[in-house]
Amino acid sequence: MFNLALWVYVGLALAIFGSLATVWGPGVKDPVIRTINTEVASVGVSLILLTYNSTLALLTLIATTIIVTLILFRAISRLEEIGADV
Amino acid sequence: MVASIVPQFVPAFYSSMYTTALYGGLIVAFIGLIGIAMEKRDIQVLILTDIVGLAMLIVVAAVGTDLSEALILPGLVVELAEIMAISEILISREMRKKDVHTSFAPMPLNIDMEIMTTAPNFIALLLIGYGVFLSGFTGGAVAGGGIVIYVLSRKVRGLPIVVLDGVGAISGISWCLWIIGFLFFFILPQYWLLSLFLAALGLLLKVASKIGLIGILMREEYGRK
Repeated sequence: MFNLALWVYVGLALAIFGSLATVWGPGVKDPVIRTINTEVASVGVSLILLTYNSTLALLTLIATTIIVTLILFRAISRLEEIGADV
Repeated sequence: MVASIVPQFVPAFYSSMYTTALYGGLIVAFIGLIGIAMEKRDIQVLILTDIVGLAMLIVVAAVGTDLSEALILPGLVVELAEIMAISEILISREMRKKDVHTSFAPMPLNIDMEIMTTAPNFIALLLIGYGVFLSGFTGGAVAGGGIVIYVLSRKVRGLPIVVLDGVGAISGISWCLWIIGFLFFFILPQYWLLSLFLAALGLLLKVASKIGLIGILMREEYGRK
């Protein structure tokens, strides 16, 4: 039998670790690295939603995470094209 | 802690994990907010907003009922719309400051492949059919994806403004269907099946036409160069 509590703990640890990596991680002055680091926290939240049996929420989270990453990458590359301070 | 107010149908595991998950979510939110407070540049703050959104998800999901799952969906969609809108505002503000224009969608590859003109008919038909079968929010998203594929594959060029207005009108009318269905649930509960289908099909048309409109607007921007 699965130990369900373990999944919640792993998910919470990944979420906290990912948010720490996003805020203070190495090389986060580059917005691209910071955007990719948010994926770690997002995987943690996915594990928590998986434990709580929220199938629709999990699927929507995966879809919106991909779309948000694409939007942020587009915004970053356009801002760099302009020559703004990113 | 909260054993007296937790309803009976919440599984014991979820109510036992509630405190842990709540504190975990609060820690994530705290870290994200500290990051926002320390950061000066706008785009970095926008990326950190994502972390705070994830913390909100943990706090809502910790309740562990169907209602919490139903509340996560609009939360995700609102977060998506917020990031989309704020990134556009940031870009247009910088464009006005520096007085330069950039390409609408910076793309390193040229996606002008043969399959983009031959396959979309079938794929769009399949996606729209499956979306109508699913109905509701998910079906709307799937059917809207089909419309986006069809529109973005440059099958239809230079859509007249009447068609754009028409798609917007469909979206508005289906929103009314959804609201009527929602009212029927409370006024005439014996017609619950009718109101369920009004809500499901209204939401299907609404979401599909909205996503389709995004695709049409993107294509119009592409065509303008």
